[in-house]
Amino acid sequence: MATARPVVSIYNFENPSEKTGTMPMPVVLQSPLRPDLVREVHRDMAKNKRQAYAVKPKAGYDTAAESWCTGRAVARIPRAPGGGTHRAGQAAFGNQARGGGMFNPTTIWRRWHRRVNVTKKRHAVACALAASALPPLVMARGHKINQVAELPLVVSDGIQSLTKTKQAKEALKKLGCGEELQKVIDSKSIRAGQGKARNRRYVKRLGPLVIYNEDNGITRAMRNIPGVECAHVDRLNLLRLAPGGSFGRFVIFTEGAFKKLSDIYGTLKSGAPKKKGYTLPRAAMANADLARIINSTEVQSVLRPKMERYTHGIKRNALKSKELMEELNPGSTERRAVQLKSSQKGTPEYDEVQKKKKARIEESKKYNKEHKKGDETFYKTLMKAFEAKAAADAAKKAAEKADDEEDEE
Amino acid sequence: MAERYAISKVNVPEGAAVPELVKMKMEKEEKLAEEKKQALAAKQKAREEERAKLKERTVAYEKEYADTAAELVKLRREAKLNGNFFVEPEAKLIFVVRIAGIMKMSPKPRKVLQLLRLKQLHNGVFLKVNKPTLNMLKLVQPYVTYGYPSLKTVRELIYKRGFGKVSKQRIPLSSNDIISDALGKHGIHGMEDIIHEIYTVGPNFKQVSNFLWPFKLSSPKGGFVNKRHGYCEARGGDWGNREELINELLGRMN
Repeated sequence: MATARPVVSIYNFENPSEKTGTMPMPVVLQSPLRPDLVREVHRDMAKNKRQAYAVKPKAGYDTAAESWCTGRAVARIPRAPGGGTHRAGQAAFGNQARGGGMFNPTTIWRRWHRRVNVTKKRHAVACALAASALPPLVMARGHKINQVAELPLVVSDGIQSLTKTKQAKEALKKLGCGEELQKVIDSKSIRAGQGKARNRRYVKRLGPLVIYNEDNGITRAMRNIPGVECAHVDRLNLLRLAPGGSFGRFVIFTEGAFKKLSDIYGTLKSGAPKKKGYTLPRAAMANADLARIINSTEVQSVLRPKMERYTHGIKRNALKSKELMEELNPGSTERRAVQLKSSQKGTPEYDEVQKKKKARIEESKKYNKEHKKGDETFYKTLMKAFEAKAAADAAKKAAEKADDEEDEE
Repeated sequence: MAERYAISKVNVPEGAAVPELVKMKMEKEEKLAEEKKQALAAKQKAREEERAKLKERTVAYEKEYADTAAELVKLRREAKLNGNFFVEPEAKLIFVVRIAGIMKMSPKPRKVLQLLRLKQLHNGVFLKVNKPTLNMLKLVQPYVTYGYPSLKTVRELIYKRGFGKVSKQRIPLSSNDIISDALGKHGIHGMEDIIHEIYTVGPNFKQVSNFLWPFKLSSPKGGFVNKRHGYCEARGGDWGNREELINELLGRMN
């Protein structure tokens, strides 16, 4: 938070429409908001007030039961010994048995309490205080603060000297807490669950938390007002500042308490005077305005410009699409057109082709006339291959005939 | 780069007081928009130049293909005329398709198939013909079928199923920019350049072939004959070298 600290008005508790003074906001109330931290610390701190519960150590095992083993046509579970009573021979010990012990009996040595690091606890309180200074968070928590003049609400020290509840109530109403107090009264209802039978019959909402510095009667005045709680500024409890783990409790500070916050917590540079070795939490990002950072000239000047993405669309077949073929093979359309023309009668291309054809045929005829004459014709050359064989056959026949004649003779 | 600036329009209602940060943003966006406009104009000009050059190159390629084909015809005729035999040039380019699935693959052929980037059934890649690749194919013979693709096959494969490897992603070749960005330094700026480099197995064949993601082909319409047996066996089969007849198969798989 590099901004200058805002100034908080102090309201006169008797006449809250007038302001008795102003004070700069303590640095604590500008701590970074960490709902995760508050939730975690609250969860662990809330476990520390628990009372142990467990079943009796001997529960279910206070019999001399023994298994009858096999051979007696009964299940092997341990059975109560003896006779003369229904109990004899009944199953015992197992969690399935009537009157037996439970599975995994609850124990008192369950780890009921949790330790939380001191720094963590202090950070959580700082966060919760900071949240209590922000109207949207307080409203989100459910408090009715529409009539409240300002958050954080700081009241002059006179309120610490109130002794009568009636006066205290008046003062709160004049400060704009009327709606809040009414909300608490209206919300009283019977608790759902067994708690109602265990001396926790009613539940109601929480009202404002009044943080004071010097108790001159204020606690006793405020303690009977439903919903209102008081806390000394030296001993702030996270369980009250962030009930249920949700920060944003409606807090009313007295002037002295508000001043003391600065004395207790100090600043980021000075550390906390009243908490040894402790400094208020720092934000993870000094400037959390991402949009402004991204759009700043420092960042934009070193970025390359945004580029359009390559889109390839559906692959088309150039052999089918003339348009695509022209794109891929420039000039193909005109070449194709010229080619087609050569099969259309009357065009010069057609004539060209016919001329070539004629020339070719002429060539061939000329060649044949020259070379394929007399014995060079196709037929003659073909038959020449058979001539040799024909001659051989004729010779063979002649030879056979000669032999036959010889034999005859 | 400046062509791809994403300019956001800041909508300020009439007469409203403009916050400081919004004003800063508006000024910044204006400057970027100006840069973008200039960059786009420059890009457009460069693109037109590039396309004109590509067009010239394509015409030259087509002439080259026609010329090489005509040359072969001439040589064959000459040989016949002189009563010689014309020895057909050996193929330079092979297209390999994986026939076998991934289950129960022995380690050595499995590794070779990985090296050939044939990691999935019906994946296909272009390969240069040389001693090492032929030896690799020998190891995986029963799991692949391969042959010598024709120009038509090469074109159709690349146009229909051509995807490029761009920063390890499989990006469709929907624009010559993608090719230019990846292979520009090798002088390849468009689809026809790729086709030429692949078909004629040019000096940058390795880079181009590696840029092309392995082709994911469909199963052949009409089916295989018998994947368990070799193409050259009398009973009929599919694996191994089927030379020119790969084109028929690819026509059904593409």
